[in-house]
Amino acid sequence: MGIGINYETNSADFLPIIKYDARAGRLTRVDRVNGESIPTDITSGFKAVFDLENLETGWIDFESGAPQYVLTRLGSGPKPEKPGDKYREGIRCLVKLGKDFGGDVREISSTAKAFLRGFDKLHDDYKAASAENPGKLPVVELSRTAPHTTGEGARKSTNYVPEFRIVSWVARPGDLVYKERGSSTRNASTHATPPSTGATKVAAPAGGGDLGW
Amino acid sequence: MKNPFEIHNIQHLSPSTCNTFIGSPATFVMEKLLKRRGQVGCAAFRGTATEAGVVHGLLTGATDDECIKVANEEFYKLSALSQDPAKSKEQAAVPDMVRVALAELRGYGPPTSTQGKIEYRFDGLLVPFIGYYDVAWENHKIIVDLKTTHAIPSKIKTNHARQVALYTAAKGKDFDPRIAYVSTKKSAVYRLEDVDQHVAALGKIGLAIQKFISMSDDPMELASLVVPDVDSFYFNDPLTRQAAFEIWGM
Repeated sequence: MGIGINYETNSADFLPIIKYDARAGRLTRVDRVNGESIPTDITSGFKAVFDLENLETGWIDFESGAPQYVLTRLGSGPKPEKPGDKYREGIRCLVKLGKDFGGDVREISSTAKAFLRGFDKLHDDYKAASAENPGKLPVVELSRTAPHTTGEGARKSTNYVPEFRIVSWVARPGDLVYKERGSSTRNASTHATPPSTGATKVAAPAGGGDLGW
Repeated sequence: MKNPFEIHNIQHLSPSTCNTFIGSPATFVMEKLLKRRGQVGCAAFRGTATEAGVVHGLLTGATDDECIKVANEEFYKLSALSQDPAKSKEQAAVPDMVRVALAELRGYGPPTSTQGKIEYRFDGLLVPFIGYYDVAWENHKIIVDLKTTHAIPSKIKTNHARQVALYTAAKGKDFDPRIAYVSTKKSAVYRLEDVDQHVAALGKIGLAIQKFISMSDDPMELASLVVPDVDSFYFNDPLTRQAAFEIWGM
């Protein structure tokens, strides 16, 4: 639980993305071509520099069309308040893909508990070794994906936990620059949706009129 | 750092000033920087007069008729010189609005304070916000702002939300903020939600005003950065319309 997310009990701005499908245990790079999203499987041999120094955690809504993020850079402030029912705990992290997978800077974000379980382990490994590698970022491989079954009977389901492994450390690549985005927030008072004003009708307090004049 | 509010002789901000800045930056420049105040319309007098009558009734337990008399006198006092064509319509609405509001609010009992002054400061903003809430019941921890209208809204309007959120922030978060909308026929009291966010919004608006007036010490230069929408209600009053013409030549 090094990144403070409880995956045990509950079921970008404009950067290109990589996605992890926890139900299939596959990593894909998603490219926009002529307005269409084209996925390319990059599971096998996956290698990338992960900017875990600027890992963002908080709340993500993947249900309402375009993803909505309310995140803080881990360690920069309190956890944001949950902005709405559709938001799930999640992370967002910048990665620079290895040369064989395009070599560009992308982001990965997820609320899938199986993914978070594996990512949490990666983050623990990072924290354990980062002091010995000052100013450097980990090069991460995907060793394998391990099935994780939850529920019973009709509710039984299997997801795949990614097993990431730090294979080396490198100086921060010049193009891997973390920038706080509109969907990132330093404090919990920022919300992803406009505030409501109130439409609940209320009556006079009980006994208010008994006080007399 | 120069204080742009001092340069432009602005001692404080209010939710109303923020609303003007949002709704008509040109009116903000005209009134707050060039100090050319427009005439207040009789719709505003209707609100003030109704509030006077209602507060009288809540504080004293006076009959509806006595409260209406107080409200009518207030309206007359405020509007005696007004040439607003809506004057008779607004005047006619006051008695029923007083009656409807009293029916809604008498159940709260006598308020513990009315027209209470609040002051609130935001980090980085060089002047305070100052405002006056309508009615508070410290014993119930309830604060109510009375809004007269010819059409009851289905929810609290954003500018009203910010205004009452500010009062709540200044009075204490344990207060239950409410807005009472009153027409000639009915009323609705809504509970304000998301107070912190509305207060934060006011802070941002205040900082936007500060940034805007920091751009120049010369009000006319600031006037040149905005353009009046002379069809908006802000320019209904002929004197205000004339002032806009003199400033912007349109």
